[in-house]
Amino acid sequence: MGSVARSPLDQRERSQGASGGITISGVNHEYRPPRGRPVLALDGISLEVADREFIAMLGPSGCGKSTLLYLVGGFMPLQQGRIVVNGKQVTGPGPDRGIVFQNFALFPWKTVRDNVLYGLEKQRLPKSEREEIAQHYIDMVHLAGFEDSYPSQLSGGMKQRVAIARTLAIKPDTLLMDEPFGALDAQTRSLMQEELVSIWTQSPTTVVFVTHDVREAVLLADRVAVMTARPGRLKEIVDTKMDDLPQSEVMKTRKYLDMVDYTWNLVREEAIAADSEKDR
Amino acid sequence: MAFLLPPLTGVVTRMFHDLFNGRLAIDIGITLFRAISAFSIAAISGITLGILISRVRPIRWFFDPLLSIGLPMPKVALLPIFMLWFGLFDASKILMAAFSASFQIVVTTWAGTRGVERELVWSARSLGASERQILWEVIFRAAMPQILTGLQIAMPICVIVVLVTEMVMGGQGLGDSMLRSARYVDSPGVFAGIVEIGLLGFCVMKTMEVVRRRLLAWHQETQKDH
Repeated sequence: MGSVARSPLDQRERSQGASGGITISGVNHEYRPPRGRPVLALDGISLEVADREFIAMLGPSGCGKSTLLYLVGGFMPLQQGRIVVNGKQVTGPGPDRGIVFQNFALFPWKTVRDNVLYGLEKQRLPKSEREEIAQHYIDMVHLAGFEDSYPSQLSGGMKQRVAIARTLAIKPDTLLMDEPFGALDAQTRSLMQEELVSIWTQSPTTVVFVTHDVREAVLLADRVAVMTARPGRLKEIVDTKMDDLPQSEVMKTRKYLDMVDYTWNLVREEAIAADSEKDR
Repeated sequence: MAFLLPPLTGVVTRMFHDLFNGRLAIDIGITLFRAISAFSIAAISGITLGILISRVRPIRWFFDPLLSIGLPMPKVALLPIFMLWFGLFDASKILMAAFSASFQIVVTTWAGTRGVERELVWSARSLGASERQILWEVIFRAAMPQILTGLQIAMPICVIVVLVTEMVMGGQGLGDSMLRSARYVDSPGVFAGIVEIGLLGFCVMKTMEVVRRRLLAWHQETQKDH
């Protein structure tokens, strides 16, 4: 897939700051419930993500990996520390960072086409250009023929494709994915993983991919950041860049299997810790 | 016996009589005009206030207890005050009905806008929508099913309150005609009035259902019917 010619649309302005990538330094975050004591969710997270690197965040549930993603997205106010994306300090959400959620978060009252068009309408592009770009991304995620369907008429996998198309259409420099395939069945999930890789090879962007699926993380990411049980700290960053093979082949390699095994052991300890925390 | 329960033929004859001498059209027209005016006022003010309450903390703080007091209260009890303030003609009737119906709309709008999932708002924000666009293009639209439920409850309240004010204050309309029949011990007239009110209510409710189906063509509840 690596040699696929880039479409002219993809070569449209992608701001290439010299200091691409993401720098997270000294981020602490406290979750403050309306009642009860505040809980430390993130504890001193520092992480460098290179430009166009695919990094996965892995950890037991409740370790704050999604919170970290939301902080990078600017959806939550940063309490302590600094996050810089493409040379710009994060102060709020913006179209330079696209996000895909586990529950799709499509606008249910809009058709597939109108969902994909929504972000483009905010960019004040001429109508014909908007529609051309929207169609390009709808075709890319194999939803041609469903342009006029409403999300409630689509399957889970199709909904997530719409969400991905909607996010990619605005050409974000950074793609934030919050357990995007977590709500899908196993077969759909592995098809979607293949598609994501093929899209990413066609037009690589910096990706932060939150998941609790070890195989998924190792398969997709260049590096996997394993987080500890609450309070979330970085436990270890595992280099999981795989050989340039089709996914089905990668999954048979010794390297992949060893990596999954190694990473799973790291996560396992934390999952057990998180579980015993719950019982207390 | 015909006085307590007039024969069906008598009631039907009476309705045809009302229909052909134009009385029925005038009464229905007047009642409907008042009810729809009241409904429009209630809808606009109720939706606006409902959104403000869910967005602005001081407004919520102020109106929250007032809603709890006002919602279970029979609002028609304030009719003498409305008569005093707004006179004996259309204005007081319309405003009385609008006031009575707006509570339901405020409450459902508030509940609907509060329940919008944060991921939907975040998606719009990250796609480049401004706060104002998020309010109208996302929160308002996402709350639409609940807002429409509020409107569907409010519409019959408007009809009921308008009929009651007509009965109390006169000034034509179905309620006035019916009560006048009662005063003249004209029982076919009273029963004809009941049937006419029933038919009016039926038409109004069905219209609301059609509007709902149109506006919620995207919603699962609509698609199941096909």
